[in-house]
Amino acid sequence: MPKRNGAWRHAIVVLHYQFETKMNTKQAIAIIGATGNMGAAIARSLAKGNYRLLLKGNDKNALDALSADIKKEHPLADLEAITCSAEASWEADIIILAVPFQAEKEIVEKIREVANQKIVISIANPLNETFDGLITSPLTSAAEELQNLLPNAKVVKAFNTTFAADFATPVIDGKQADAFIAGNDEDAMETVKELVSTAGFNPIIAGDLSTSRTLEAMQLLLIRLGMKYNYNWLAGWKILHH
Amino acid sequence: MYEVFFETIQKQVSLTKKDQAILKSYLTPKKLRKKQYLLQEGDVCKFVAFVEKGVLRSYTIGEKGNEHIIQFAIEGWLISDLYSFLTAEPATYTIDAIEDCELLLISKGAHEDLLHKLPVYETWIRLQITSAYIALQKRLTSVISLPLEERYQGFTALYPHIVQRVPQHMIASYMGLTPETLSRVRKKITTRR
Repeated sequence: MPKRNGAWRHAIVVLHYQFETKMNTKQAIAIIGATGNMGAAIARSLAKGNYRLLLKGNDKNALDALSADIKKEHPLADLEAITCSAEASWEADIIILAVPFQAEKEIVEKIREVANQKIVISIANPLNETFDGLITSPLTSAAEELQNLLPNAKVVKAFNTTFAADFATPVIDGKQADAFIAGNDEDAMETVKELVSTAGFNPIIAGDLSTSRTLEAMQLLLIRLGMKYNYNWLAGWKILHH
Repeated sequence: MYEVFFETIQKQVSLTKKDQAILKSYLTPKKLRKKQYLLQEGDVCKFVAFVEKGVLRSYTIGEKGNEHIIQFAIEGWLISDLYSFLTAEPATYTIDAIEDCELLLISKGAHEDLLHKLPVYETWIRLQITSAYIALQKRLTSVISLPLEERYQGFTALYPHIVQRVPQHMIASYMGLTPETLSRVRKKITTRR
């Protein structure tokens, strides 16, 4: 009977979908620069997901304060404060570099070996000191430069068009902010899509890693508009479509 | 980080410096702490794990929540849910760490690339799967045909390092016995001596 057949197919698709998206096994995420504005915002928003968060910062006291603060809101959160980038990245399945573009190179040297084959999320925007231009050439991006430094890692651009304050308020003016993802590895992008959803944003896979050039320039524009019209660092992108 | 891995492989195949560099570029180093899961039943198993350091176990969970241990893995061994890894169907096994572990994961993508790129990898993995198959056959034969005492003695003779590092209730689970029955079996063996 074709009707029953269809229902079965639907049931199988639903089941498959559940297995695809809801992982039972906890993934470990290292947040390098966890006590910074963006790092702390990402840590707070991912603490509600099924993740083990390895919070890496230089200041143990600041890390402990952040952990205690997150625990208050999410008592079951699995958190670990770590002061060594290599240790945190070794245990991690996913590494988020929540540090300024200029600081990435130094960290990469410490984590290169243990980041091998792992997803490394580039959130940085390579802004100049006056916030009115990018210091990377138009033919590349912060994400692509990171990929060159970590040739065996799966670099994914994400969380670069969202301000730190957006993580606490991902719905702005009644609309859920979009968050764009770019990368060269399909599986890695799907995994990052889950993270972006957990953080409360609407994930959009934008394209391959070179799309980061556009994404990084988009944030330059948003920052400049924010300064001109005083958005107070709470602003985001929303693609309108039918 | 890779010492045990290369040492283990080179017992079976010889690797050039270049082979080593290619292999290394495909491995994912991963630390896992005691009691943490590497894989939970229902997820697709996307890797084979090589143990550089530590002990892990794979097991199924029965209806009443009781665990049936399928395999242990110590330094130099591989562990995975091979069925799930090869078919991309949800895993029926759960894998967790009995001690703090240092692992090298071979992802599905890495495995497939290496099979094409590196003939010595194909040889090594074939030898690994062949010996795992033989071990499984022996385990099955022993379960269906040997008396309990002989099964336990066979296990301890074959894997003395596992017996030392793993709690008795897990050995019992591996043998399909209750801890009480295993304890009786061990007593019987000691009194016989």
